[in-house]
Amino acid sequence: MQYRSIKKEDWDRVLERMISSHTVYANIGDEFGLDYELIRPADISRIIYNKPKPATSLKSFFLPVKENVTSERNSEKPRIIIGTPNCDVEGLSLLDEIYLDKDFDDPFYRMRRESTLLISSDCFGIQEHCHCLSYSIKPYSISKADLAVISMNGTIIFRVISEKGKEFLDTIPEAVQLNDNSIISSVENEQKTTESLLAEANKGLPDYKTTGKIVAEAGKEIWKKYSSRCVSCGACAAICPTCTCFLLIDKPGFEKVKQLDACQYPGFERVAGGEDSLFEIHNRFRNRYMCKYVWKPEKFSSLACTGCGRCIEACIGKINKNELFRELA
Amino acid sequence: MGNNKNIYKPLRAKLIEVIEESPLIKTFVLVPEEEFSFRTGQFIELSVDGVGEAPFTPSSSPQISDKLEVTVMKTGYVTEYMHNLKPGAYMGIRGPYGRGYPVDRFFGKEVLILGGGCGLAPIRSLLYALEHVKDNLKKVILCYGSKTPADCIYKPLFNRLNKIEKFEAYRTVDKADEEWDENVGVAPSLLDKVKVDIKNSIAVVCGPPVMMKYGTIKILEMGYKDEQIYLSMEKNMSCGLGKCGHCMMGEFFVCKDGPVFTYDEIKDQPNIWD
Repeated sequence: MQYRSIKKEDWDRVLERMISSHTVYANIGDEFGLDYELIRPADISRIIYNKPKPATSLKSFFLPVKENVTSERNSEKPRIIIGTPNCDVEGLSLLDEIYLDKDFDDPFYRMRRESTLLISSDCFGIQEHCHCLSYSIKPYSISKADLAVISMNGTIIFRVISEKGKEFLDTIPEAVQLNDNSIISSVENEQKTTESLLAEANKGLPDYKTTGKIVAEAGKEIWKKYSSRCVSCGACAAICPTCTCFLLIDKPGFEKVKQLDACQYPGFERVAGGEDSLFEIHNRFRNRYMCKYVWKPEKFSSLACTGCGRCIEACIGKINKNELFRELA
Repeated sequence: MGNNKNIYKPLRAKLIEVIEESPLIKTFVLVPEEEFSFRTGQFIELSVDGVGEAPFTPSSSPQISDKLEVTVMKTGYVTEYMHNLKPGAYMGIRGPYGRGYPVDRFFGKEVLILGGGCGLAPIRSLLYALEHVKDNLKKVILCYGSKTPADCIYKPLFNRLNKIEKFEAYRTVDKADEEWDENVGVAPSLLDKVKVDIKNSIAVVCGPPVMMKYGTIKILEMGYKDEQIYLSMEKNMSCGLGKCGHCMMGEFFVCKDGPVFTYDEIKDQPNIWD
């Protein structure tokens, strides 16, 4: 892999330039955690690199909670998103499969995808519920993003992933080829340390395929037990980088508003005649796991759970899917 | 579907006629503002401006391209608004979506069709398509059931079908009135009366979920194999594009992978009958 590096103060100046022509998002932290923010010049010095992970998943940049999908749209300013963890980058693959499908290509998704430069960030360290590695996803990107960023000892290092990423760096003369193997080794050591932390924290957690088997075989009593604290709030789906189900709402003038939806809400599958195969809460609860670990893998090549752990963090009933899978493993 | 087309945007269609088929069922005759064609068994999303949209399989012939007929039972919020529409109104159409009936796979065979209630709507379109290729078919048998004689839709269709060479049509009602002189009993009960060469036949089932279930069981008991039975599945098809997730039936998006499936394809999926 090719690496380039730039001094941190030079990179901050590049970002200041970029802000005039691009919309730039990056992670800013406070006492509650970390999340993407729209970056103004004053924020540049506060950007946090290599720390997992933004509270919001990447999908919100490509699939807004609510948008009118029949009105004409001017193309938006190009965007740079900095600091996406690899779990979210991998999650974007499934969104691509669904929204850039060869038969029905979503023009709004495509426009946002094409106008975005995605700079992933290697995760150095883990959060309590991170479990990407259990699903064979590394805590750093080597594909699918445009670049990966590493901040180390006053230097910003880029791993060049896509052609688009390379072209972007070509416009920055201060970013030079990095040939110092000792720096690259330090980066790799950090990666290995994160992988060890993940392995240690997730001992006994079944892999993706085994989870699919467990989910498919689990009986009703399991789903009833674990859904007993579910209140159908849909937070798990809203925060999930790969849950993208939506509702089309009609507005006058044959306009349609597309709004993110969730199979956890009552009535999600109800038909006009009244039949509703997901009427009971334990069926809705099971549905989400069947979708992620059994059905989506039959249909798509990308993973439908990338182990970000946000659904566990978001659950007000404190339902931990990994406890469930560990119990059944 | 080209990349430049907005997949969410409906095409406007003028409502030119409303035909009352039964107390709860009306047929809407629509003239789309742009060319619109479909394969029999494919469905469209039909919308009432500003109110909502719902999936329907057109009931007219796929050979006719200048207008389109959609038969709608008043059963929920959107369909109630539809039933109040008068000729001259504009409706929205998206589609056509999904896989229709693979008519060419029926060639050389006897086609046994079991329909119930408003499920005759997609079947009428199929019957038009089959009539068009009747030289390639051995026989077409329609068995149709409705609750009462008043609920029976497309009344003139049955006489017309019985006059077409190779076509037979039978009707039944759950509850007869004094004038009814045809069969009484649920739709699958008609299957006892027909003569089919099962080995050289395919069956098509379309109707309310309970009829689909018991009709399919009965057809299996007759000796049809799973792959010989074509089912039109009813789920909450919302986007029609295989994206919104509302019509997922196990690994399938009913809107994109269906709505017509062979029983063989879906028998192991969850909740196929509700």
